[in-house]
Amino acid sequence: MIEITDVAQEKLLEMLNGREEDIVGMQIAIKGKGPTGFEHSMQFVLAGEEPENVVVTEAGKLRIFVDKGSVDDLSGATINFIPATGGFDIENPNSPFDWDDPLAQQVQEVLTSQINPSVAQHGGWVTLLEVKDDVAYIELGGGCVGCGMVDVTLKQGVEVAIIETVPSITSVVDTTDHASGSNPYYQQSKDDPHNQPAKGGQAPASPFAN
Amino acid sequence: MSQDSADHTYESDRVTNTPPDSSGRRVLLLMASQTYRAGAFLEAATRLNMPVAVGSEQDQPLAHLNPAGHLVVDFHDLEGATDKIVQFAQDYPFDAIVSTDDDGVVLAAMASDALGMPHNPLLAVLSARDKYQTRQALTAAGMRSPEYQRFSVDDNPQQAAAQVSYPCVVKPLALAASRGVMRADNPEQFVVAFERLVSILSGIEHGDGTQVGDQILVEGFIPGDEVAVEGLLMAGELQVLAIFDKPDPLDGPFFEETIYVTPSRHPTQVQDEIVDATRQAVAALGLTEGPIHAEMRVNDQGVWILELAPRSIGGYCSRALRFGADAALEELILQQALGGPLGSTEPASPASGVMMIPIPEAGILCEVRGVESAREVPGIDEIRLTLPVGQAVVPLPEGSQYLGFIFSRAENPERAEAALRRAHQSLTFVILPPDEAATHQPGQTAVDVLEASTHNGPD
Repeated sequence: MIEITDVAQEKLLEMLNGREEDIVGMQIAIKGKGPTGFEHSMQFVLAGEEPENVVVTEAGKLRIFVDKGSVDDLSGATINFIPATGGFDIENPNSPFDWDDPLAQQVQEVLTSQINPSVAQHGGWVTLLEVKDDVAYIELGGGCVGCGMVDVTLKQGVEVAIIETVPSITSVVDTTDHASGSNPYYQQSKDDPHNQPAKGGQAPASPFAN
Repeated sequence: MSQDSADHTYESDRVTNTPPDSSGRRVLLLMASQTYRAGAFLEAATRLNMPVAVGSEQDQPLAHLNPAGHLVVDFHDLEGATDKIVQFAQDYPFDAIVSTDDDGVVLAAMASDALGMPHNPLLAVLSARDKYQTRQALTAAGMRSPEYQRFSVDDNPQQAAAQVSYPCVVKPLALAASRGVMRADNPEQFVVAFERLVSILSGIEHGDGTQVGDQILVEGFIPGDEVAVEGLLMAGELQVLAIFDKPDPLDGPFFEETIYVTPSRHPTQVQDEIVDATRQAVAALGLTEGPIHAEMRVNDQGVWILELAPRSIGGYCSRALRFGADAALEELILQQALGGPLGSTEPASPASGVMMIPIPEAGILCEVRGVESAREVPGIDEIRLTLPVGQAVVPLPEGSQYLGFIFSRAENPERAEAALRRAHQSLTFVILPPDEAATHQPGQTAVDVLEASTHNGPD
């Protein structure tokens, strides 16, 4: 189901050698959707802390714990180690952008061709989660998360483009947790007396600065 | 400015794929990119099926997909921005300008004047934005006013300390959210507060050349209960939408605002005096159109206006106000901007409240616990955390942010307030010094997380 190249196995075993903890394997999961595809997570698993709801497989000398919810999306994935970057790379043949629903396919095309290229220039991306009852549910990532102007991007940009191109869509719903907190643009910019909200101080700064 | 033809369809009309508002009119919203208010106004416009354009100081990434819906304006270049708005109105007509918060109120007045749209007079807006000019206008109108003096940041604080009465409040002329506001009970405290405010102001850019960052207002401290009024002006007539009580004492040394609850629990006669004072202040400043937010103190002598701003309540606080069939404050503001008629102004619930969660100490926000428990407190409508884990937080008087907002609705103001306090007690904010924060790993059970890049599909 998941392959680990010899180089990656060698590197992982090297990392395990000399560690005091009793590590019994590695957990792999889909943690979300990014601008180019699935985003993955990898972490070692301690003895006694084996996760639940996983499928356990062997890959060479390593036990792999795969989240049940990620099994299909990780089918055929290969974990490699890239010496040039010193990091691991997961090559996943599956795409989160392949939709069976024709309406979702159309919305995805708008995101891929019109919206994400522009948003990506500002460090963000927009992901389609599903289309249900003519409503497109999306999630924003990267610099969009927590941005004070994300509603403008959503209402005046994303919604307009989707609904104009796919008239069957009646509304677009943002499901992003904007307080989740990984937005690198959350830090305040230099204060300006004319840039002070009256309650609650400043909203997160926009990543969309010129 | 009227739209050329009633059946004209703007690009932004198509946002909801529903027929445009029968009037076909739209509003230009001016908002700084750091506003908290964008979502509330855009959501209100959607609910009203009212097309809008957004004028902001930063180019938006998807502006090219909806050119009628975006405009870049420099809030500090008032004349240049006014010219851009006039040109924009020719290309993409609109019918009113609304500033979502303080940043754009002056520009909104100037541009509205240039376009012949109803709005507040420019001088009235300029006076309302400056606490010293506000104080002058209120005093000239014969309203209750504490002693007040204006100093330069370059003035000698020891000499200034000898010129004021105590207790007093030292405050900047234009900052909001009680930032930089400090009480001093004697000359020694005054010097400390003065120097601290000078330090705060020294870190502030001078955006448009005005001297708001160079001056300090010192007012006599007014004891009493603090209240806030939210209202709408239509051709000079004030419609009060809510009177908020602020049940936490605000006696200093800093003036951190926490809880707002409406309706007010003050006696009817006092509430009438509050409304009268607000009307007098509106008239004294010369404001005529749009939302107003007034802050005042009430004591045995009567009502004392602290400030009156030509904008709606800030932050996310407006979510505590719902009207009629759950309409937002922003819906009323947009309706008023287009000349009405307004929807119902009856409160949607018997009582509601909001708590701005204060920052208790400086450091790095490392973890927030108890959110689910807080949400389960009866009467709690919503909890909105606004600062992400990992961010440096600074309390008043230097800071200008809150950890988040708690909203409640209840059958009476007592219960609305109690729900806010219970929810706040359920929350724990772990704030640590930077060196400790670096090693704080809440809930981390894995040994470590491996960095992995993602490679979807074959090359």
